Amino acid sequence: MHIPDGYLGPQTYLPAWGVMAPVWSWASARLKRTLRRRQLPMMALAAAFTFVVMMFNVPLPGGTSGHAVGSVLVAVLLGPWVAVVAVSVALAVQALLFGDGGITALAANCLTMAVIMPFAGWWTYGLLAGRAGSTPRRRALAAGIGGYVGVNAAALATGVLLGIQPLIAHDASGRPLYCPFGLAVAVPAMALPHLLAIGFVEAAVTGLGLAYLMRTEPDIPIAATPGPGNRPLRRLAATVAVLALLAPLGLIAAARLGAGTAWGEWSAGELSALAGRLPAGFGRLSSLWRAPLPDYGPPGAEASPMASQALWYGVSAALGIAAIVAVVLALRRLLAGKDSDDAAP
Amino acid sequence: MTPLPEWLRPGFAPGAAAPRRRRGSLRPLRRALAALEAVLSMLVSDSRDDRRTGLLRNADPRAKLLAGVVLIVAATLLHGLATLGLCLALAVGLAAAGRVRPVRIAAVLGASLALTTLVMAPATLDVVTPGAPVLTVARPGGGSLGPFRLPATVAVTGAGLAVAARMLLRTSACVTLALVLAATSRPQELLTGLRALGVPQAFVMVLTMTERYLAVLLRAAQELHLARLARSIGGIGVRREEAWAAAGIGAVFRRTRTLADAVTLAMIARGFTGEVRLLRPPRWRRLDWLVVTAAALAAVALVAADRGLA
Amino acid sequence: MSGTGGETVFAVADASFAYPAQTPCLEGVSFAVARGERLALVGANGSGKSTLLHLLDGLYFPASGSVSYLGQPLSEAALEAAPFGPRFRADVGFLFQNSDAQLFCPTVEDELAFGPLQMGWRQDEVERRIADTLTMLEIGKLRDRAPASLSAGEKKRVALASLLVLAPSVLLLDEPTGGLDPRSQSLLLEILDGLHGRGITLITATHDLTLLPHLADRVLVLSEEHRLVVDGTPENVLADTGVLLAVNLIHAHAHRHGRLVHSHPHQHVVAHEHAHDDEPGHGHDRLGDRKEPER
Repeated sequence: MHIPDGYLGPQTYLPAWGVMAPVWSWASARLKRTLRRRQLPMMALAAAFTFVVMMFNVPLPGGTSGHAVGSVLVAVLLGPWVAVVAVSVALAVQALLFGDGGITALAANCLTMAVIMPFAGWWTYGLLAGRAGSTPRRRALAAGIGGYVGVNAAALATGVLLGIQPLIAHDASGRPLYCPFGLAVAVPAMALPHLLAIGFVEAAVTGLGLAYLMRTEPDIPIAATPGPGNRPLRRLAATVAVLALLAPLGLIAAARLGAGTAWGEWSAGELSALAGRLPAGFGRLSSLWRAPLPDYGPPGAEASPMASQALWYGVSAALGIAAIVAVVLALRRLLAGKDSDDAAP
Repeated sequence: MTPLPEWLRPGFAPGAAAPRRRRGSLRPLRRALAALEAVLSMLVSDSRDDRRTGLLRNADPRAKLLAGVVLIVAATLLHGLATLGLCLALAVGLAAAGRVRPVRIAAVLGASLALTTLVMAPATLDVVTPGAPVLTVARPGGGSLGPFRLPATVAVTGAGLAVAARMLLRTSACVTLALVLAATSRPQELLTGLRALGVPQAFVMVLTMTERYLAVLLRAAQELHLARLARSIGGIGVRREEAWAAAGIGAVFRRTRTLADAVTLAMIARGFTGEVRLLRPPRWRRLDWLVVTAAALAAVALVAADRGLA
Repeated sequence: MSGTGGETVFAVADASFAYPAQTPCLEGVSFAVARGERLALVGANGSGKSTLLHLLDGLYFPASGSVSYLGQPLSEAALEAAPFGPRFRADVGFLFQNSDAQLFCPTVEDELAFGPLQMGWRQDEVERRIADTLTMLEIGKLRDRAPASLSAGEKKRVALASLLVLAPSVLLLDEPTGGLDPRSQSLLLEILDGLHGRGITLITATHDLTLLPHLADRVLVLSEEHRLVVDGTPENVLADTGVLLAVNLIHAHAHRHGRLVHSHPHQHVVAHEHAHDDEPGHGHDRLGDRKEPER
């Protein structure tokens, strides 16, 4: 799943660095608070451990074998923020010292394997085994499923990152400059092998690994999963996530049914076409603000195929939700002072 | 001492031979061992370090790292086949000047080319990259297969070849430049050199400590594999293999945790305050500035030529 | 009871310790250490000598009782506060049993610089100390090497160097000769001897009795029940085979001479010779019908 250099254009890998930098800072600051002097050796050894996990060859039925990433196992054992740093460091060491995975693409790889994967897996684990009375068997099973979900989330994200390259960067004749395979090819190419085979390697390593550790060290401290007090928040988060995923349906349905823009939400062009003329103020003010994602997609993408428009719809939903959550958290911090101990990151 | 059992003597006749069952191969195990040993040999070098040879021997690793990253970024900005070819040639030239063993250059380049060719092969076809056909590959003859509509012919297009070639050249150039970086500096120097790229001190410390202990944990993993190999006749079935791998990973984790605790105590015992402090690294010399400037100029020239030609 | 007299460096009063949810590893240990003493803590594996060293270095704190350095009881609060905390860390050096855990920096030079830099010394002073320490231990050629590439003996010397660079007045050593070849071992003992000559207090934990005459003027013996049972000179302790057998530091040993089997309490301190007579404490049997050793 490591994306090499040359497959992603700077339009993708630079924003990935931009996204990861604050994530790394946040993780580092948060861990400094909780681990204090233990932070440095714990991070380093967790990263070395992740590297070693990636080297184990795990067999699959049918004679093939695969490698696990291990992010979810680290997240379950040490916490998702430790996993963010540990997996990022392991990926950096792989890229710099062994040429495994690109250097420019490092941040993108960290986004998929060090952020999306551990959190997706950890949340799944928490959902399935978060209650205090979970038996070890249930925890192991939940961890295994978390591993499967996590690695597939990462594979999906990788497929998306690769698949949007033809949309983003073309040369003069319209040919793709970077990864030439669009979403329709890249996403299944990444998702299917992980859904059908590699995902099970990750599930086995995560679930069986946790089971083994719980058996041999019964009081092994496992990263705290959200307690019952956070259930409502979890449900809300899950609901919002599902809604975000379903958002593109509105776009597709509207296009299928031939419906135009919702009443009253016309742009300048649509209004003048409908009403025959454009009010003077409308014309002056409509050019005042150029949205970064007009019509919930990149500029000029109105003519793109439905699949990519739907994808951008979903991306816009995610970005919008993220922006709102960030503002709300900031306000909460500001108003409540520095004492809140939020379990949900 | 309690007396030894009867059967514990050399040449004692064994019981009925175990039925011949087809056992899985031990090849994955040996492959994993080989990979572990390759990584370990990269990390642990003796005093006869062959990394500080050649033209780039005396340059500060920070300068080399900065130069390398600048060139890799430039490679990702190039679109033309000619400029990409130049970039690849430059990369190979740097590898040679850095006295990287030709076998290693060939291996790294070859692997990258092979893999990229495999991945890019479909991109040469007109079903992916439309354009004027150059070579017809198959004639499915239209019609449909389930939900998919088959094309009349499948052909390699000139545009497809150009796209594939571009990817081949670019990935190879990047991979070779990364090899120059990894092969002409010691691992620790490469990591501490990240300071020059603006990476915060705290992260650099984690990176260097990770590399420091990587060999220790890899040796533990190596021991596990060797122990298994020494007692195995063949594979033991997928389920048991998975269980073994999980147990092995669990064992390495226990080692990880105890080592982390021990290192923490060792750091506290030596007065660790939680804040990382390093010796001031030596100042850059003329050669270092030269290296970085040369790389920057080359990068700018390549990109300018690329844009000019495009 | 302290040995040579003089300033009391460590005072341990009825200290007990147990890891969380595990059996105790130290029970009611009390003793004092005077400045310049050479003290050895001996006991079988698991007797608690390593734990005791950790308590002396303020890495763990006793569940009951106290450990004091120069009159100051060691507690988390005391060690986090300046000036006592940093001064204690510089004054007392701990040579860990696992050199890999102790050498956590990228190169040998960084390792030696770690302590001084944490103390906040100036760069030129740090560099001077490093150079002197490398010379003193004859490891100058290892300056740029990575710890993973060093031999066991080299690692031990580098670990010791990383402590000496801070000019400690006390050294705590946990099985310092473990895993070392004879030459490295004797080199280490030589260095420790030199340090003792400078008045540095040495406290060594070991289960290797052959070291005692070289390492210590005073020996504390810990039993497998984690208690202090003997406090005396090396000569007295080594002669008390009864106690040594009871704490599992020596074994009752059977060996053959031809068709005769000797069995007696035995320690591999020196090669021994004896005649084939029936002496008190020795039993002779024929092969096949052994008796328990007589004491």
